[in-house]
Amino acid sequence: MTAIHLENLVKRFGAFTALKTMDLEIRDGEFMALLGPSGCGKSTTMNMIAGMEGPSEGRILFDGRDMNGVAMGRRGVGFVFQNYAIFTHMNVYDNLAYGLRVRGLPDAEIDSRVKKIADFLQLTPLLKQPSAKLSVNILQRLAIGRSAIVEPAIFLLDEPLSNVDAAFRAVMRTELKHLQRQFRQTMVYVTHDQLEAMTMADRIAVMDHGVLQQVGTPLEVYNNPVNLFVAGFIGSPGMNLLRGSLADSDRGLVVDLGELGLTAPLSPEVAAAARAHAGREVVYGFRPERVSLSVTGEGVPMPVTFVERIGARTIAHLGTGAQRVKAVFDNDVTAESGTTVSVAVEPASVRLFDAATGIAIREA
Amino acid sequence: MTSLATPEKMPMADAALKDGAAAADDGRRLGFALTMPAQVLVLFIAVFPLLMQLYISLTDWSPLDGIGWWQAYELWNGFANYTDLMADTRFWSALGRTALVMLICVPAEFLLGLGLAILFMDDFVGKRVFYSIMLVPMMVVPAVAGYMFFMLFQSGGPVNDILSGVTGMNVSIAWLSDPTTALIAVMIADIWQWTPLMFLILLAGLVGVPEDQVRAATLLGASWWQRFRTIVLPKMKTIIIIALAIRVIENFKIFDTLYIMTGGGPGVATETISVYIYKVTQQDLIWGYVAAIALVILISLSILVSLAISRMNKKKEA
Amino acid sequence: MAGISFRNVTKRYGKTVAVKNASFDIQSGEFFCFFGPPLSGKSTILKLILGLETPDEGEVLIGGKPVNHVAPASRNVAMVFQNLALFPHMTAAQNIRFPLVERKVPEATIKARVDEVAAKLHIAHLLHKPPAQLSGGERQRVAIARALVRDPVAYLMDDPISALDARLREETRVELKRIQRELGQTLIYVTHDQEEAMSVADRMAIMEDGEIRQIGTPVEIYDRPASRYVAQLLGAPMMNLMAVDASGLEAGEGTIILPGQAMPQDVAGVGIRPEDLKVEPWAESHPGRPATVYEVEPLGGYTVVTLDTGGQKLRALMRGQPDVRIESAVALSCNPERIHFFGAAGEALRP
Ligand SMILES: Nc1ncnc2c1ncn2[C@@H]1O[C@H](COP(=O)(O)OP(=O)(O)OP(=O)(O)O)[C@@H](O)[C@H]1O
Ligand SMILES: Nc1ncnc2c1ncn2[C@@H]1O[C@H](COP(=O)(O)OP(=O)(O)OP(=O)(O)O)[C@@H](O)[C@H]1O
Ligand SMILES: [Mg+2]
Ligand SMILES: [Mg+2]
Repeated sequence: MTAIHLENLVKRFGAFTALKTMDLEIRDGEFMALLGPSGCGKSTTMNMIAGMEGPSEGRILFDGRDMNGVAMGRRGVGFVFQNYAIFTHMNVYDNLAYGLRVRGLPDAEIDSRVKKIADFLQLTPLLKQPSAKLSVNILQRLAIGRSAIVEPAIFLLDEPLSNVDAAFRAVMRTELKHLQRQFRQTMVYVTHDQLEAMTMADRIAVMDHGVLQQVGTPLEVYNNPVNLFVAGFIGSPGMNLLRGSLADSDRGLVVDLGELGLTAPLSPEVAAAARAHAGREVVYGFRPERVSLSVTGEGVPMPVTFVERIGARTIAHLGTGAQRVKAVFDNDVTAESGTTVSVAVEPASVRLFDAATGIAIREA
Repeated sequence: MTSLATPEKMPMADAALKDGAAAADDGRRLGFALTMPAQVLVLFIAVFPLLMQLYISLTDWSPLDGIGWWQAYELWNGFANYTDLMADTRFWSALGRTALVMLICVPAEFLLGLGLAILFMDDFVGKRVFYSIMLVPMMVVPAVAGYMFFMLFQSGGPVNDILSGVTGMNVSIAWLSDPTTALIAVMIADIWQWTPLMFLILLAGLVGVPEDQVRAATLLGASWWQRFRTIVLPKMKTIIIIALAIRVIENFKIFDTLYIMTGGGPGVATETISVYIYKVTQQDLIWGYVAAIALVILISLSILVSLAISRMNKKKEA
Repeated sequence: MAGISFRNVTKRYGKTVAVKNASFDIQSGEFFCFFGPPLSGKSTILKLILGLETPDEGEVLIGGKPVNHVAPASRNVAMVFQNLALFPHMTAAQNIRFPLVERKVPEATIKARVDEVAAKLHIAHLLHKPPAQLSGGERQRVAIARALVRDPVAYLMDDPISALDARLREETRVELKRIQRELGQTLIYVTHDQEEAMSVADRMAIMEDGEIRQIGTPVEIYDRPASRYVAQLLGAPMMNLMAVDASGLEAGEGTIILPGQAMPQDVAGVGIRPEDLKVEPWAESHPGRPATVYEVEPLGGYTVVTLDTGGQKLRALMRGQPDVRIESAVALSCNPERIHFFGAAGEALRP
């Protein structure tokens, strides 16, 4: 139950800058996901919040208090390591009890709290087991329980689900979310999986190459990405991004998509925002889920190169060369690779980006 | 997708696939057959001297008797050597002295070694130089070390000079001539010589303690001492047992440096078991008796060490 | 190139039965995927094909010939262990050549083979560059080229891309599939990720405790799972499973009305995939009882809605970003054709 403020954080390792001026406000009781590709500085940020590393520049404030110089054991931070760091020489019970024992709590209280958390995480039958031989799925819950039991005001999790199998990951996503709802800690969650971030987080901080790109609710970053990186990274698959140029026509402002032989109309809102960019190179972005296909109807004809049918969804890979498009639709639509389909996009779902800077073109 | 589930990550593991799997069982059997003679040989080399000792200890044989050791049965005297031993006060006081040295030296070496190892886990200026210096005592030949300490502890030697400088008085202790100080000098030499080994073994143990588990404990609020007691020490259990066992056994056999420093003297003041055995063998030449001593020590030491190890194991688990 | 078959193969490790009475035929040129939870015997099947293990019972056939007693080196199947990672100190070409150089293939053959693979993967112009100068996608293609440069009967891959991050995994699997199709080679693939399995496989085998539960195309298995177990293994979120009420006419505490007469005999439970569960605002005219919205997870293109029936939680996958409020009452329904029926032992029943 603590707000975290990262104030112009910079972290350098020798000549290499892992984190470039990170400025982020994490609200009290919020579930914040740090999302980005491998090596973008997520763990570095977490380690600084926990106090395992000191920042090269900038400050970390917990409820306005500068944490600089406060030892990691005194920050009231729970941390779940990517590899769990379970005490392998202890059994499950002793692992859970550890944080309470070092605080010198009476045995009776320790016992009741261990039982309670073990119950919550379904570890009760395993309490007496040595932890060295447990499966990854159990280690993962144990790691969460061990940190949660001391009721830290801040809970940091570094890719806690990346080693567990897919089915269990889906279960844990919901469990973690509910854990956080129940205890209302401030939770910071590192992941490179946008699905995890979207499903669990109140807000997502998208990072790339040590730079914070965008902070917003899952739907904000999905619907209104601020730049090309966020547009491509959020979503499964990411946004379709086609190069084109803004041109005036009798239909108003349109995007000339060159190679595809199409001039795409814009919705009035998008056109209004783009007015200032007329004549410039832009990137025309739209979500694969907003593409409609028809075998005969209007739209641009594009060859289907590959179809992935993944359970509830079908992803069609369309087009060749530079201007490729992915479309996602339900299973009742069928597309065969090798055929040609007509592709249409709802104008309202289109997002434009400045091709030179990669920044979203939006109404000022 | 557990990435843990892809056990083999070497590139091109195909190279390891040369043999047919069907032949694997045959291969195991063949391997056993081929190593068989070597195993028998090793067993023989290890066991033979013991059996020989047992045999001789039941006789009154000495190399001066003019007969080979295998003919020692002509001098058979049953358990007489063992009963003599029970009544041998010089033996018993040597044994007690050895135990005293061990009880002081080994814990001292352990604590010093551990302290140094902990110090070396952090970075400090000149760490590398210190590290090299730390290892010097181990590289010094014991005879040289003995001679060195012999010189240091002369009444006009550097130790007294230093003490004089520190206290401002004219210290001239005849270290090696007084029974008590001689024993102290001998123990200081042993600690000097063997702390580096302790240090090295314990440093290896400390480095092996998983850093993230220590961090996890820190984040859970454990103090330095709590982390040390609940994470570091338990993780080092095996290596500590090994280090202590090595030193207990070695220290029990303390001989070379000591013998050169004091020759076991003054009188018998620093006479340990090894020195005593050496004197009996070399001066009195009664080998049957020596064999009996050696066997008694061997057996009691084995019992002692295994008892200690099993007790330690039990205590740590509890 | 040749097909690979198992005939009633069993492999035990002591008391553990790692593979139990497995039979299948993998066609030449097929992308065949083994999918199952951890320890279900997937890797053991690969080892049996490679010859690293011999079956305790049954027969392994490659190209129609029994190979139980053929040494691994003579089977000419290639295992791709590596995580598709490149050696940083070598150029792309040296990376690709590496497996051939390792097995002392003549220089002329190496050159021809590398050129051929490079042309197929459209990386001929990149061959002189070290990995550091390649983009992510180009690096992947070079890595795949290295995996494919040998010309074996079949390739085996054990979870080869699980260590990549989520986005790169999505792209790599498509690339892998495209290349396999172009090269027309047999690829036997093990994965833990159901999405990956469904995306790449021509056909797949679902495993449980060493036994093969179902073999078919991903679509067949997804749409007509042979059992409750298989049904739950594929699909995210998982299929909703419900017991049939005593009346035999409703499920989910009365929130879902079953087609009654149109059902097969002896139905013990029903399953409805989240995407088939229709969620509408509650109206009194709706048959059955209302459910409450428990949780809404927007994924952007889709939204996962968790519903509380009063006895259990059901998941619905809705397209887009519908306006569903937590705690609101909703009516549930499902197209009868999309309901899966299961018997008491979990076997699928068809009307
Ligand atoms: N101690 C260090 N010394 C030098 N460079 C480092 C160090 N720690 C991290 N880096 C570098 O800083 C960058 C960011 O690392 P970080 O661990 O924060 O990445 P990440 O976003 O957590 O990635 P991943 O998803 O792979 O865990 C990387 O390029 C990494 O190589
Ligand atoms: N060399 C071995 N010795 C003993 N048991 C083994 C051995 N290899 C596998 N097993 C056992 O055989 C069973 C199947 O193992 P296998 O490795 O084939 O599973 P898997 O499906 O590949 O699992 P994962 O998804 O975790 O990789 C397991 O119960 C495993 O413990
Ligand atoms: Mg990381
Ligand atoms: Mg496996």
